[in-house]
Amino acid sequence: MIDMGFNMRYLDLKRRIRDVRMWAIEGIAEAGSGHPGASFSAAEIMGTLYFRRMRHDPSRPDWDQRDYFINSKAHSAPGFYSTLAVAGYFPPEEVRTLRKLGSRLQGHPVRYSDHQKHHSVPGIEYSGGSEGIGLSVGIGIALANKLDGKKNRVFVLIGDGESNEGQIWEASMAAGKFKLDNLVAILDRNRIQQDGFTEDIMPLDPTKDKWAAFNWQVFEVDGHKVEQIVDALNKAAQVHDKPVMIIANTVKGNGIRHMANNPQWHGKAPPKRHTEVLLEELDSECLIAPSIIAGERENYEDKIRKVEREGVDMIHLDVMDGRFVPNITFFADTIKKLRRSTSLPFDAHLMIEKPLEQIQEYIDARCDIITVHAEACTENEFKEIQERLIDAGISPGIAINPGTEVPEWLYHCLHDLDVIIVMSVNPGFAGQKFMPEVLPKMVAVSKELREHGFRGYVEADGGIDSTTLQQAYDAGAQIFVAGAAVYGGGDIHGSVIQLRHKAAVALEKRLLSHATQLNVRPDWMIARKHILIPYANELGIEEELHAIK
Amino acid sequence: MLLSSEKKTADMRGAYGDTLVELGSDDPRIVCVGGDTTDSLKTKKFGDKYPERMFNVGIAEANLVSVAAGLSIAGKIAFASTYAAFIPGKCVDQIRNTICYPSLNVKLVVSHAGLTVGPDGASHQQIEDIASMRAIPNMRVLVPADAVAVKHLIKTIARTPGPFYMRLARPSSEVIYADKAESFEIGRGNVLEDGSDATIIACGLMVGRALEGARDLKRKGVSCRVVDMFSIKPIDRELVAKCAKETGAIATAEEHNIVGGLGGAVSEVTAETYPVPVKRVGVHDTFGESARDEEIDTLLEQYGLTATEIAKAVLEARSRSRK
Repeated sequence: MIDMGFNMRYLDLKRRIRDVRMWAIEGIAEAGSGHPGASFSAAEIMGTLYFRRMRHDPSRPDWDQRDYFINSKAHSAPGFYSTLAVAGYFPPEEVRTLRKLGSRLQGHPVRYSDHQKHHSVPGIEYSGGSEGIGLSVGIGIALANKLDGKKNRVFVLIGDGESNEGQIWEASMAAGKFKLDNLVAILDRNRIQQDGFTEDIMPLDPTKDKWAAFNWQVFEVDGHKVEQIVDALNKAAQVHDKPVMIIANTVKGNGIRHMANNPQWHGKAPPKRHTEVLLEELDSECLIAPSIIAGERENYEDKIRKVEREGVDMIHLDVMDGRFVPNITFFADTIKKLRRSTSLPFDAHLMIEKPLEQIQEYIDARCDIITVHAEACTENEFKEIQERLIDAGISPGIAINPGTEVPEWLYHCLHDLDVIIVMSVNPGFAGQKFMPEVLPKMVAVSKELREHGFRGYVEADGGIDSTTLQQAYDAGAQIFVAGAAVYGGGDIHGSVIQLRHKAAVALEKRLLSHATQLNVRPDWMIARKHILIPYANELGIEEELHAIK
Repeated sequence: MLLSSEKKTADMRGAYGDTLVELGSDDPRIVCVGGDTTDSLKTKKFGDKYPERMFNVGIAEANLVSVAAGLSIAGKIAFASTYAAFIPGKCVDQIRNTICYPSLNVKLVVSHAGLTVGPDGASHQQIEDIASMRAIPNMRVLVPADAVAVKHLIKTIARTPGPFYMRLARPSSEVIYADKAESFEIGRGNVLEDGSDATIIACGLMVGRALEGARDLKRKGVSCRVVDMFSIKPIDRELVAKCAKETGAIATAEEHNIVGGLGGAVSEVTAETYPVPVKRVGVHDTFGESARDEEIDTLLEQYGLTATEIAKAVLEARSRSRK
């Protein structure tokens, strides 16, 4: 059985990884060189380890009970440094010194020690840069920990390019021989190396079979889905007498669309004048959360499977109690059953009275996000809910009905608030029309609350379709509950594509306008040309794009 | 003559293995990584005594030294051993980036260095290792002359943090240091014979020949100082400069290419401190060849690694001396 429900505080984890990408790109642009591709393909892997699953303490980098992280694909340094910084090892602003003379952040990370105080930061265990070595080093650490009877684990990030190196396979044999079940290797399978695509330069497939043949327990995940990484890491902890390989299928440059899957961006810095636009793109995630109460009521598991195939981000669960809202849907027991069917995060929206009294049931049902209504609690009740959710590793959220203003007391709870649902219909029934009058509230929530320390996501819920998604996205929402728009028409695939497409158009429009403000529109369009072409018509830039060689 | 029957000899590899076993009982941090040559390196004894602390990774030297690096990161004192042809021959990059750059506590103790490997031929006759190892920052390079030196130096490097490269030879070596209380300090050469007309600075198996050459020269009325420069990096700059100044001419002797080895290291010091003529005895930038064990003395003669060559080198250096 899959062990779902992850104690990962999903949205907070996503937010931290977003911050990592933002710091990394800023550092690379500032340095004028570096490797955005690998920094971004490995961002979820490193983030999930450092922010959730590794045992470590930034205030005691040499704590002898710590888990070790060895970054064998050391050219992902900008991402690695940013991860360490966001984890608390040093101030993130220092990432701006990357690769500069006198910086602690060398082009490739250097093991921190008395010898290297000026060229490293605490927390870095291994000096990388020459490919193919880190796995062997991880083996040495794992052997030593076993010898000492310690429970520390060793995580080694390796690349598919560096898997060309014979030493990777020497190490692979050795870890199998020594049955190192305290060693987890994670392969950043982005399929691109410096000269081009891995399968052209030196084919690695069948990757899974190779590692299995070397006596490793192999798991395969989407390396940008943190819930899948967490799931694989949880499973890895249960493996005995074998080392574990997690093949993380990733996209090189993931996060910035014109860099994604493009070998050209293996080791190239974007121009510094594009930084602000790139940061805006990274800060404009669009997460689709289909609501399974839409369409036919029955067979929720089937509905979940159908949208999972489409790569949606989470499952929205509308819990209605027939008292807070007139309708009744399902309760924690149903969620508990559904939990086994998917690793997708569960975004539970509790439209119930007295949520504090029932909150434990939903915690036990292993939701990843639990949102309660501002209208249904007092400040103290919400604070207690928030505290219990955070203790349980669940993202806390608050929902606000169209007729309700943001309560004053919410300003006291912003620090640990991961999501605010701005209802764009009056809750209680599926299939209602989007209320455009809530858009100003979305704008206000996005802007004002952020100024007061809110770092979470704004979620639009109610009447979201491909048109209203654009409006809500422009108003600052980043999570979109899509009910009828996904399940209503019978063509789930087409519906999800359309939602993504509309979001992409809205994003390109926003970025273009930002580029125009910054006086970099022409060369932004050159860098972005292959992304913009399919949207040229909708963006009204056909002629302008045509004029670019 | 090397290995002549009248001379007392002792096995350097055996001394290494025995010392490692001794150290292992005092210090549980001592671990050893081998590469399918543990019998040959005599580290098998350590593995027999402490099986949980011996890791044989097979014929995979890049992995071998990197695993040793990992062990040291987790607090162990890691000895990594195989033939000198392969450490450093097959893993200079790993030694440089993974061990020396972060100055890890890894001790590379290798054997079968130089021409005296014998029958295996040039592929196994490592004659460039001193050059490559001493050029890496943070690395220290030791070439002991006999089993007593090995025993002392293994103990020293075990308690001195940071990376070391120590090269041993395959054959039993002539006993130079009878007294076990001899002093071996990293960065200090040992003066074995005093003399005033020239200095022979030697390392490893060539120390015995240097003493022999000095005796021959003494009979001809040339007083030679003989230095065992087992610590090639850090080298004893003070002693080299002193010898240059006091004796006016230097010959070096090593079982290594004359390019970049002990001769190079000594010349660098004299050139910068007290320039005097230096003549290097060693392999003259060429590959070796196979020779049966009983032919090794002849092999060394053919490649110029003899007491006679050392004596000739001393006379040549002296002839150019302005002293």
